[in-house]
Amino acid sequence: MQTSEGQLKQWMTDGLNGNAVAHEALLRALVPLLQSFYRRRLRGAEDDVEDLVQETLISVHTKRATYDRDRPFTAWLYAIARYRLIDHFRRRRVSVPIEDVEAILMVEGFEDASGASMDVGMLLASLPPKQARAIRQTHIEGMSVAEAASAAAMGESDVKVSVHRGLKALAARVRGIKL
Amino acid sequence: MNLDQLIDRLSQDVAPVSPNAHNRRLVIGLAGGAIITAVLVLAVLGIRPDIHRAITGFSFWMKWTYTISLGVGAVLAVSRLSRPAPSALHIFGLLAVPVLLLAGIGIGELVRTPSQDWLAMWLGHSWTVCSSLVLSLGVPIFLGLLWSFRRMAPTRLRAAGAAAGLAAGAWGATIYCLHCPEVSAIFVLTWYSLGIFSAAAIGALLGPRLLRW
Repeated sequence: MQTSEGQLKQWMTDGLNGNAVAHEALLRALVPLLQSFYRRRLRGAEDDVEDLVQETLISVHTKRATYDRDRPFTAWLYAIARYRLIDHFRRRRVSVPIEDVEAILMVEGFEDASGASMDVGMLLASLPPKQARAIRQTHIEGMSVAEAASAAAMGESDVKVSVHRGLKALAARVRGIKL
Repeated sequence: MNLDQLIDRLSQDVAPVSPNAHNRRLVIGLAGGAIITAVLVLAVLGIRPDIHRAITGFSFWMKWTYTISLGVGAVLAVSRLSRPAPSALHIFGLLAVPVLLLAGIGIGELVRTPSQDWLAMWLGHSWTVCSSLVLSLGVPIFLGLLWSFRRMAPTRLRAAGAAAGLAAGAWGATIYCLHCPEVSAIFVLTWYSLGIFSAAAIGALLGPRLLRW
């Protein structure tokens, strides 16, 4: 499972304050994020993916003073990751079709994505905790109903009912927000 | 080296970083270059002899307001563009404000001046050297900023280079004002701007080469 923006940012900030344990936790948590970032863009070139992950970790470490604590961490991270990828192509003199460059350079809607996840978080917070947890586990974290039920020590039908009622309440609320 | 070893090694060296470290480095590079430029102006060009009178006059402050506001805008742009971030190029749009304000003053000047004097006002006494002096005086500041950039991480190299060039040109021009006796807004709008924005263009050309990391 991927670590949340909030947790990554906390580790980054603690690391900047000199906490080596937090810094190490951050670097370890970045490995899967960066691997999937580069795998999606370099289909099949597994060696290059590993090189880029290492280079990016080194950049994150050596350039950590450039992180502005008031801004989202993942936007900073992926800006570095994208820069390392473009630099990698430049060094290899790989020519990339212009449409792909677009895809590489694309900001990937980070702001939209983080805005959306904040909206979802706010909406869920307005539900009773049981319903919110059931929705989060089955619809956001991707657990099955059975897994969610055993994680929360609830019956499966209870989970299903909670999800159903919660979604209904959310739908009503969203419709109310829309003017 | 595998990833675990790399992470272990990197985690050995986790010195605290002050939240201001980035901007402090920027200011040190900028100020270091500006001091050299100021020494050059003092030693080679000399301060204008009537500086004590000029400093109470309108045209001196008009020039300073123009160059300093461009300089401040450019430094803010450098501060943004020297960090990895999704592109934020709209900062450059703000630079139109001082240019338009100065153009407004220039139009007022032209209206008040008989048209046979326009050419003299536009060319002043120093149009032949003004732009190239502004550009040259920006060089030490640009070098100072390059030193700052060595610890930074720009991801838009051309834009970062342009911002650094603009900052160097605008602060070079600000210091050049201590020497330059010109008084007209259209003079400043043309010849100062030519020097300042040439510096930005050169920065944009050099950025991708010099700012890679």
